[in-house]
Amino acid sequence: MFGKLMMCGAALFLIASQARAETIAEKVAVCTGCHGEDGKPVDKTIPTIWGQQAGYLYIQLRDFKRGDRKSEIMQPIATQFERDDMLAIAEYFSQKPWPDLGQPRAPKDVAAKAVSASASVGCPACHLDRFQGDGTVPRLAGMGRDYLAKTIADFRTRARGNNPGMSDLMLATSPDDLAALVEYLAGL
Amino acid sequence: MYVKGLAAFAAAVGVGLLSGAAIAQEVKQEKQSVLGNANVSPVTQEQLNAADKNSKDFLLTNGNYAQTRFYPGKQIGRDNVKNLHVAWIFQTDVKESLETSPIVVDGVMYVTTSFSHVYALDAKTGQQLWHYAHKMGPITVYCCGPNNRGIQVLGDRVYLATLDSKLLALNAKTGEVVWTTNIADPELGYSETMAPTVVKDKVLIGTNGGEYGIRGFVRAYDAKTGKQLWNFNTIPENSVGVWATKDATGRDMHRNIQAEKDMLAKIGDPYAKLGGGVWQNPSVDLATNRIYFVVGNPSPDLDGSNRPGDNLYTNSLVSLDLDTGKYVCHFQYIAHDVWDLDAVSPTVLVNVKDKDGKRIPGVIHAGKTGHIYVHDRKDCSLIRFSETMVPQENMWVLPTKEGARMLPGANGGVEWSPIATDPGQELAYAINLHQPMHYRVESSPYPNGKLWLGGAFTAIPGEQQSGNITAVNYNTGKIKWQVKTPEPMIGGILATAGGLVFTGEGNGKFAAYNSSTGKELWSFRAGAGVNAPPSSYMIGGKQYVVVGAGGNTQVDFKRGNNIIAFTLD
Ligand code: HEC
Ligand code: HEC
Repeated sequence: MFGKLMMCGAALFLIASQARAETIAEKVAVCTGCHGEDGKPVDKTIPTIWGQQAGYLYIQLRDFKRGDRKSEIMQPIATQFERDDMLAIAEYFSQKPWPDLGQPRAPKDVAAKAVSASASVGCPACHLDRFQGDGTVPRLAGMGRDYLAKTIADFRTRARGNNPGMSDLMLATSPDDLAALVEYLAGL
Repeated sequence: MYVKGLAAFAAAVGVGLLSGAAIAQEVKQEKQSVLGNANVSPVTQEQLNAADKNSKDFLLTNGNYAQTRFYPGKQIGRDNVKNLHVAWIFQTDVKESLETSPIVVDGVMYVTTSFSHVYALDAKTGQQLWHYAHKMGPITVYCCGPNNRGIQVLGDRVYLATLDSKLLALNAKTGEVVWTTNIADPELGYSETMAPTVVKDKVLIGTNGGEYGIRGFVRAYDAKTGKQLWNFNTIPENSVGVWATKDATGRDMHRNIQAEKDMLAKIGDPYAKLGGGVWQNPSVDLATNRIYFVVGNPSPDLDGSNRPGDNLYTNSLVSLDLDTGKYVCHFQYIAHDVWDLDAVSPTVLVNVKDKDGKRIPGVIHAGKTGHIYVHDRKDCSLIRFSETMVPQENMWVLPTKEGARMLPGANGGVEWSPIATDPGQELAYAINLHQPMHYRVESSPYPNGKLWLGGAFTAIPGEQQSGNITAVNYNTGKIKWQVKTPEPMIGGILATAGGLVFTGEGNGKFAAYNSSTGKELWSFRAGAGVNAPPSSYMIGGKQYVVVGAGGNTQVDFKRGNNIIAFTLD
């Protein structure tokens, strides 16, 4: 009896852990359709999530689910997840290498404009040196240009309303300067 | 407390992102902890109480419980400081903003880095004894760099507060974790960057988060177990106050009191999300068993429309009873602040002259406004404020949507940088920033623990920025001397019985000045921003001065990873 129970317990444990492993793999399989099999998003308006900061990825999934960040695509996807799933998915993608999208470096004059705008607001105070991000602050260096332009525009109109502080900072920066920043960040 | 950039400086000197991108990448190295053996004897409460007379050790973040940053040793003096040279340089594994105050106990030095690492070093040789690499939780929320300002030792334990809002006790000899306590939920905007103050078996700690709609606090935890002993909310349930229309210096703040009263009737007291972080050490008055600290800005920083009232006790000096955490007194510098010109730099306890010239126990604080404020320790009341140490213009113009120009900029004046005092000369030494800024307002509801600025402060491109070191006589309020620096200053300063002050700049310069005249007597180029407070100590009959050179995230000064100790031959 004792032996049987042991076996039974071991088998159950195996199934449970397999099930969990499968769930994670299953869950992230969906993502590749848009965020890319190799981490390069299939469309230019879709953000890179490979190698992104785990804290940031988690917070975005949380915000999509809560409806704090609106997206017809991402909201239904995120709604399926519980907090632990989100943390696990965030951890999973953060461990992947950041893909090189092969975007060109910004020309000197554009870069200089971007640097001056960035210094005025103090972007690196949060996004850190070379815009690598940390914790719940995203990496921006090498992010897709079209996505950057879109999400910055969304911050300005508050269509992206999940971080009013970032909206305020974007509103305090001229569209001209932001265009330079987009090109600069994409090329880092 | 939030951060603003450095446009003019970056443009003028050509530093910042452009050159940063060309240089090697600054990496956060995920180093593992390395346990070790530091041969250190336990620190007693008696030793801590007498830290102000101890030139062998440097036991508290700001030197002693009064936080004078006056080091009593004088082997290094005005005549021989020119012979100061490097004793050793220790390179940490973390090349990010370095704000640590080195603590020295019995020949062992404890320093911390960004991302809450702790190192125990041989204070004579710089050799690493152990390294605690904190395993950071995935969720950290902080506005102004992944900073850590240091630890404190009591008994055989090292106390550390981390970016993911935990309080830890480590074994001072080995670096092993003894206990861990969660302070608050990082997902709601809480984080820790300050060194704890440990006194009478209590670990005192505040919190960051004034940019995230937190409700600030100061707490005491049991040093032995990590159990919470008391909690003081820096925002009381009645935060409305007296509808003050003038700041501490008597200038009109242009409040629309009627509009605020109407809003109060509509939404009630806004205390629950009102901010009020405390992220610098309290000073401890051992004679009266009281602590004194300053409380930071209200949330959201620039938009006052949804937080009617004086927003007590933001932007205030506050005193509590050490044993119970019960309120004793407060003094508010700026009621209903909409400029983030809050109170940050740690308080200092010194005897001061009152208005009649009588010497009484005082408490002083250097403001972001550029004034040094002198208070009566008994009831927190203001005795005087100093001449302004930085240019002031257009105060208090209200922030607008387009941006209103006002000086000082939102970093100050004096940012978090601790001041030093020399009681013999009745002088307080402060380092200042001068950054012309635009103040802009935007309105949005509480965003669930997200960045909540209520606008933006932006450095005005093309306008010259600078800094200074200023000596102020706190009994007269007059400036005794001032040294101008090419860049805004942030970090800290140390005064010594050798008649010197030591401080560093963002361009890597670390220098000693005659504390009576401001004359520069020695300097050194560290290669990265010296934006941390210096400490001093003695080993084997020799005095050392030590400082971190790792630059600064907040003002974007060149990063490094050096702890540099100096001595005489
Ligand atoms: C049908 C396409 C699609 C699929 C499938 C998809 N995403 Fe997205 N995802 C998007 C788009 C488009 C955005 C940008 C939304 C916006 O800007 O409003 C986005 C945004 C995100 C973001 C925010 C990133 C940032 O930089 O702000 C995260 C995180 C994310 N997705 C994770 C996932 C995960 C995890 C999965 C799989 C479980 C997934 N997505 C599946 C299209 C998709
Ligand atoms: C006070 C801190 C802070 C400052 C300063 C700051 N940011 Fe951010 N930024 C954040 C945070 C936090 C987020 C994550 C927003 C969220 O919660 O969804 C973010 C998000 C972003 C995003 C969205 C990235 C993505 O993957 O969707 C962009 C783009 C961005 N910031 C650009 C900038 C630029 C450009 C500047 C300077 C002009 C700047 N930020 C200054 C904190 C800051």
